[in-house]
Amino acid sequence: MGDIRQSLLPRDVLSAAKELLYHLDIYICNLVQSGRQPPQVDSKTLELVEEFILHAPKDRNTPARRMSALQELQLLEIMCSCFQEQSRDTVRQLMFSALFNLQGNQADESRMALLGKLVSMAIAVGRVPILECAATWLQRTHRVYCVRLAQVLVDDYCSMVPGSVPTLQNIHSASPRFCCQFITAVTTLYDLTSEELTPPLELLQMIVSWIQDDPRLVLITFLNTPLSGSQPISSLDVTPLGGLVRWCIKAPLVYRKDKKQALMNGSEESEPEAGPLFSALHLSVLQVFMLLPNILNEKGLYGRLALLQMESLAALTSDLSRLLDQADKHTHTSSADTHALSQLALDRLAQALQVAMASGALLCSREDLRAICSRLPHNNLLQLVLSGPVMYYNNIHTPPLAFSPHAAHSPIASHPTLPTHPTIPTHPTIPTHPTLPTHPAHTPHTPLATHPSSHPQYSAQPFMTGMPFPFRPSH
Amino acid sequence: MLNDQAMSVVFDGSPLKAMQSHSHTAQAALSAQELSQEIKSFISGVDTVQGRKLSVREHARCAVRLLRSVPACRGAVLEHLRGVYDEHVSAFLHNLETEGNASSGVSSNLEDIIQEVHGVLSEFIRLNPRAWAPLVSTWAVDLLGQLSSKHAGRRVAPHSSSLNELLQLWMSCAATRSLMEAYSQCLAAMLAWCPDACVDALLDTSVQHSPHFDWVVAHIGSAFPGTIISRVLACGLKDFCSHGAKDQGLLVMGVDKGNRVPKIGSVVGILGHLAAHHSDSIRKELLRMFQESLSPSSPLSPTSSSTSWESSPQLRRAAVPFLLQLTAMSPNLFGAVSAELVELLRPPVLLQLQALLQGLPREELDNILGLAVHLISQSPSGGARVLRFLADTATPASVIISGPTPSPHEGVREGCDRLLQMLLLHLHKLVFNRSDGAEANAHHSAPSQPQRVIPFLEELQSHVGQLCAETLRLERKRHLWLHQLLCLLSVYRGPSIATEALCQLLTQARNPEELALAWQLHTTLSSCMAGLIPAAVARCVAQIHTHTLGPRQLRQLLLNLAAAIQSQDEERRGAAGAQSSMAIQVGSAVSGHLHDFGPLLLHGDPAVSHAAVRLLSCSPLPRTSSPAHLLLLSRAAVTYFFLALRRRGEAGKVGRDGGQAAEAVNCSVLLLSRFAAYSPLTLKAVLQQLVEGALHKGNADLFGGQIADMSGAPVLSPSVSPDLGASLLDINCRFGTTVNFSGSVWSVFHAGVIGKGLKVRGVAQLPDPSGVIQNIQTLLAVIVQCCSSSGLNGSINGSRSLSDPDEPLPINAEAAKVVAVTLVENVCPDVANGELSWPPEEHARTTVERDIHIRRCFEAHPVLFPLLQVVAAGRPALCYCSAVLRGLLATLLAHWEASREVSSTDSPWHLQASCLLVSCMGEGQLLPPVLANVHEAFRHLTPFEVRLLLLAVWEYVRGNAPMPQKFVFSSEKGLFCRDFSRDGDVARYVAPIHSVLHKNIDRLGHLCWRFQL
Repeated sequence: MGDIRQSLLPRDVLSAAKELLYHLDIYICNLVQSGRQPPQVDSKTLELVEEFILHAPKDRNTPARRMSALQELQLLEIMCSCFQEQSRDTVRQLMFSALFNLQGNQADESRMALLGKLVSMAIAVGRVPILECAATWLQRTHRVYCVRLAQVLVDDYCSMVPGSVPTLQNIHSASPRFCCQFITAVTTLYDLTSEELTPPLELLQMIVSWIQDDPRLVLITFLNTPLSGSQPISSLDVTPLGGLVRWCIKAPLVYRKDKKQALMNGSEESEPEAGPLFSALHLSVLQVFMLLPNILNEKGLYGRLALLQMESLAALTSDLSRLLDQADKHTHTSSADTHALSQLALDRLAQALQVAMASGALLCSREDLRAICSRLPHNNLLQLVLSGPVMYYNNIHTPPLAFSPHAAHSPIASHPTLPTHPTIPTHPTIPTHPTLPTHPAHTPHTPLATHPSSHPQYSAQPFMTGMPFPFRPSH
Repeated sequence: MLNDQAMSVVFDGSPLKAMQSHSHTAQAALSAQELSQEIKSFISGVDTVQGRKLSVREHARCAVRLLRSVPACRGAVLEHLRGVYDEHVSAFLHNLETEGNASSGVSSNLEDIIQEVHGVLSEFIRLNPRAWAPLVSTWAVDLLGQLSSKHAGRRVAPHSSSLNELLQLWMSCAATRSLMEAYSQCLAAMLAWCPDACVDALLDTSVQHSPHFDWVVAHIGSAFPGTIISRVLACGLKDFCSHGAKDQGLLVMGVDKGNRVPKIGSVVGILGHLAAHHSDSIRKELLRMFQESLSPSSPLSPTSSSTSWESSPQLRRAAVPFLLQLTAMSPNLFGAVSAELVELLRPPVLLQLQALLQGLPREELDNILGLAVHLISQSPSGGARVLRFLADTATPASVIISGPTPSPHEGVREGCDRLLQMLLLHLHKLVFNRSDGAEANAHHSAPSQPQRVIPFLEELQSHVGQLCAETLRLERKRHLWLHQLLCLLSVYRGPSIATEALCQLLTQARNPEELALAWQLHTTLSSCMAGLIPAAVARCVAQIHTHTLGPRQLRQLLLNLAAAIQSQDEERRGAAGAQSSMAIQVGSAVSGHLHDFGPLLLHGDPAVSHAAVRLLSCSPLPRTSSPAHLLLLSRAAVTYFFLALRRRGEAGKVGRDGGQAAEAVNCSVLLLSRFAAYSPLTLKAVLQQLVEGALHKGNADLFGGQIADMSGAPVLSPSVSPDLGASLLDINCRFGTTVNFSGSVWSVFHAGVIGKGLKVRGVAQLPDPSGVIQNIQTLLAVIVQCCSSSGLNGSINGSRSLSDPDEPLPINAEAAKVVAVTLVENVCPDVANGELSWPPEEHARTTVERDIHIRRCFEAHPVLFPLLQVVAAGRPALCYCSAVLRGLLATLLAHWEASREVSSTDSPWHLQASCLLVSCMGEGQLLPPVLANVHEAFRHLTPFEVRLLLLAVWEYVRGNAPMPQKFVFSSEKGLFCRDFSRDGDVARYVAPIHSVLHKNIDRLGHLCWRFQL
């Protein structure tokens, strides 16, 4: 394929790129048909791509040719239709990899730029094949670049063009795989460590609604990926669970700060509060955890694969303790408020830990947990989780919940089985706790009750039904 | 698909309210499929559904839709919009060029689309400034630069140097205005978090498209002055520094090649534009730059960021030359800075400046100095302050301290010294090359074009007075500089300033050395300016008239003028130098204004009047003058004469200023004599007034006289004279008449009221007889001087010859006649029986009262006799005094007749009067020598015998009437003489004399020979 370079050179940028794409398509088709395993695009071809599509300077003597923005748009349009028209997944994947797999050279920058535009455009014009390819790309690429792609998309749809959030929202139906990877990338990107790294509210709303609509969405990559152990190093997590847990736990402390600043700035916030969104998200995450045991058992991975890594948890708890320290230091006025928020964060941590451990997503001993959480301030629930007997959920005979086809998109339908759920045995420990009745500030779930209309399906929380909280009916 | 509903444009509310009917929701209708079609249409420019080509308008709408819905198209859309904007600008300019008669439709069509685009963009920026502002600002600035460069050559586009016109043109174009607004919006949003980036982008574009882009920067600058000004300056400095390093020649060539630096021109243009409204902030910024560049570098200074120019030593060094260059290129900026710069130059700053400049190579230093000199010479205001600053610094107050080790200020002082000299040299060149320039102009442009203006000198002309004052202080170098400057100023502004300067110097000089400065100035200027001195004198006179000078100054001015004129005399004696012509000029100029100086003789301040008399006495008299002026002058001069006499007397009493008072008298004598010699008119006036003045009651006491009342008797002060209860008024009222019975019984009050005894005579107390004598001497000297016919020739040395008795001067007959007539008028106002011939002695009783009046006058005014003697000397003038002589003689006869004393010496006054009278008549040749000599015998005789002799005199005069026509002019003597032989026989009248001789031969033997016929 390297011999076509001479014929491409005299062409103008756009037609050269077009022609190269055409040749690439044919070349990859031949490659696949030849049946060589694994199909490998040779380096000559990759160089041609870099020279004529990404316009990386070939050598120092020839100045880099550049496309105008219009030409680039034309190229993107051609690419879109090219991927759309290619019927074979393998060819498509190979072509996408040939174009956009990072080579660790200076062409990577323009590669990333072009990829960002292509994916953004594909989202706008609904090119599912490209999104699928992108989902795969997100699985195989170093997380730094994944995060950059996510950043481009978030910028494009959540901040640059007002009113374009619905377009992005559509990727949920267009390509759940891409959507799942996108969520993972976004949760990795926005780790709530600074103001810039706080997700925009539109994005948050979108993600919450996605997961509420379909909790299994977050597991799609996990479900569809053969765990061959060939996971590239430093790629994104298989599931966004770790990131989502981090969001939910840190949110009360981080968002409170933002709100305070907004109040000081005197701007009246007409946007919806982030708090309830995170509450809903937290619930959804817990629900996803609850789905896990069956899936893990089915895959035969129960107790062998930790979806929540211990290291990320450790980082989370240290972050949390730092945030709590700051909150204590910087609060002068509403200490009661601060206290309530801190307790909310700790409660969520305790709940997530408990459920994750119970569902087999977190594999560790209670000793390890205590070590991690030693620096955190006192919290009754956390205390309970850390000290209580481990009730591993090892009943592998329980019928799988999440895999029933009718239940895939309606978690409520599957919940009536929950009362018989073996997690119930952990509950008796709660009433015995002496401090629990004197726990008026502990209202992590109360915000949910304020949205009965928006989330009617949660009004009768099956997870809660078994909990004899004396104050619950009054809400 | 391209229906109206699809054209969804939402505006942020400003430009197009009418379009807001389009709903935002229409956008939602675009499915992914439709969007894909839309993109295809956008790329191909063809409507994919209908298959026809899109118009520019539709294409642009399509682009806007994509901008709203497909984020990935952003770059392409903005790029496409560049074309749309460009097209609009082209159409707009074309429209202007064709005077709007064609294609107005196109431009208006595009205008609304541009407003749509603007609306969308500004909405985006408003909603999410962080994301959009950097993007749009870069795009807008780049596009603006491109547009302004591309269309700079158009016919309607003004030249890039005229910022305001450019601004007007571009802001009237919708496309560029919209871009400008968008950029302003972005900048306003970005200032909050990254001002550097956006301004740097602006300036980078500005450099790329300079100078066509300057209007943008200027406009933005006026919207965000605080941010832009300092950055524009810093940017210019960096550029200047790099260019200066590369091209040393540029700096050497200085001002003229300044335009070769591309950026500094832009900086000047931009700042110049901003200066209209933000001169204050610009000034602050420039001054701050100056100070920062001098203050010792502190790399950790909190105020300066690491990227700013303050941190680079090279840039700091270049700041001062840069500022100089900048101000040299823009009068606006210079004007803004110059006012306060001098204030900043305190000693520590100067030291820093010197330290900075010392590091520069010699050539560059010269350059900077040259630039500074140029700037100073162009400075429209504050020049005086700069000058004073330079002079003060160059010649510090304490000069003694410079010992073996030069004080730290030495360098600064030398620098200022050098700067000042260069400034003078530069001004010199400018001033003296001006005429060449004017000639050159005359060849190819209007000859009436004004000459090149030198603002520094323009401004200094209002400070000429101060300059002169400073110059006159004669401080070392300073007065040389200032003097030179005055010369330049005078040459520059022509006669008006030269006159002013000369006038100031004349007024302010206090000694000959200082006055010499005025002559030096004149010597320099006289070569190129004519009529300078007359103008200066005229100006001085104007000052006098407007009373702008205080007494001291006035006096100084008069003295200086006098000194100037007197130097002429000295010159005449010595070698005639260049000054003599000037002294003559001063003299003639002053002589033209004598009547203006005249009134100063009567100035309230003695010093002033003294100075005035000095001046007048030495000034030459004008060739022609109007009688009115002459009369006024003579009156003033005479009045001053009496004043001077009085002052001399007072000074003599108190014992101080005697010399000066005497000198004043001398001067006034000189003045009077010269004046009298000027013309018959003045002679007459002077003499008349002198005589009148001498007899005037205000001056009478000077000459030993007493104030006489109407009847001639001395008046007593009311406290002394007892109230007799008698009043002429009462009596006159009682009789119901106001008729003056002069000469009748009713008026005889002089002796007292009947029944009350004789009137008490006041005791005549003569103050200071020696003073009186001196005064009389002086008066006589004046009168003789005036009367002497030597006239103009002897006037200069007149004062000398007065005291010299060896040179008796013949008395002019005409002059004497004036004295005589005046005397008669004053002594004897009653003109009845005023004929010259004498009646018989018996008829004298008809004029008793008048005779008594005359006698009393003589009693009250001792000066009358000397005056009579003067008159007698000027034969035949005494004839005109006939009435007075007759009256006096009549009373004397009456006295001697009535006297019962043994000897005539018992009535001393009458004896003296008789003697003087007779001797006068003899001198005046009213009597032949035989008769005239009789007075020698009087004091040896009895009263009766005296009467006999006087009677003989009377008889003679009655027989030989004292007629002027009896005198004939003898040319050998130069006098009129009377030939007594033509008259009757004298022997007839000599008989009584001989009888008396016989009777008293024992005592009069030695006198016999005097009465030989």
